[in-house]
Amino acid sequence: MNNEKLLIQLLLAWEETYKKGQLTLWIFLALKENKKYVEEIKSFVEEKSNKTLCCEEQSLYRNLRKFQHLGVVDYETGKGNKGPERKYYFLTNLGQTLLNQFINRNISLFFNKNIKNLLNTED
Amino acid sequence: MKIITINQLKFAVGFAVLTILFRYGLSNLLNNEYFVYVWLLAILYFATLFIVGWVFGKKDYLSFPFYDVGFRFHLSSYILYITISELWFLFEMQSRYENIKTVHLTALIWGIFLVIHFFFFLYTRKNAIKGINKSDIFE
Repeated sequence: MNNEKLLIQLLLAWEETYKKGQLTLWIFLALKENKKYVEEIKSFVEEKSNKTLCCEEQSLYRNLRKFQHLGVVDYETGKGNKGPERKYYFLTNLGQTLLNQFINRNISLFFNKNIKNLLNTED
Repeated sequence: MKIITINQLKFAVGFAVLTILFRYGLSNLLNNEYFVYVWLLAILYFATLFIVGWVFGKKDYLSFPFYDVGFRFHLSSYILYITISELWFLFEMQSRYENIKTVHLTALIWGIFLVIHFFFFLYTRKNAIKGINKSDIFE
């Protein structure tokens, strides 16, 4: 196996593991921005992740149902641009706190100057 | 989150229909003394129940991953089977070879397994938050 092929295989394997659990963060970030309905959440996730993360609407609905059950997300119905009423999802206070604490504990460290330097891929 | 879901209700309807058909078939076969076919009917009954349970159980989990290790479906199966069987005897639809004691014995033995399943269900709830397995929350 040549190095280039090995590199691609390793990269794909790493990304597959790395992306697990990421959907929650992207959904929460989408809802932190403002209230959104499912199609808008889907667009946000795909656009802001540079299409490295794709999600089915079915998967989003399943996740949102869980989050609503847990009390971190809720929705209110509102009129869509066309057609029937839509569910506009938003983060509850618990959801906001959860996201903030998660970011503080797991994401903020990437903004440390030393880590930022190490993350810089330009030689 | 509702504990009784649409898929659970669909399963319950399917289970009830299959059980009524089973009891009807069983009583008729016994009355006509087709004893060999009773085995076939029982196998067919359990096979179709398994398929119905599998289909609606999977749908239920995909719709909402309620972490109950199948206990809700088991409990509804128990209640329906015993109720239908008791009613079968109450309305005297049984064959001359069937005895109400068999239903009571089934209720007792199955009930013991149901209680064991219930304790197992309670035990697994330690790994859950509001009824969802911790590893299923953040996908």
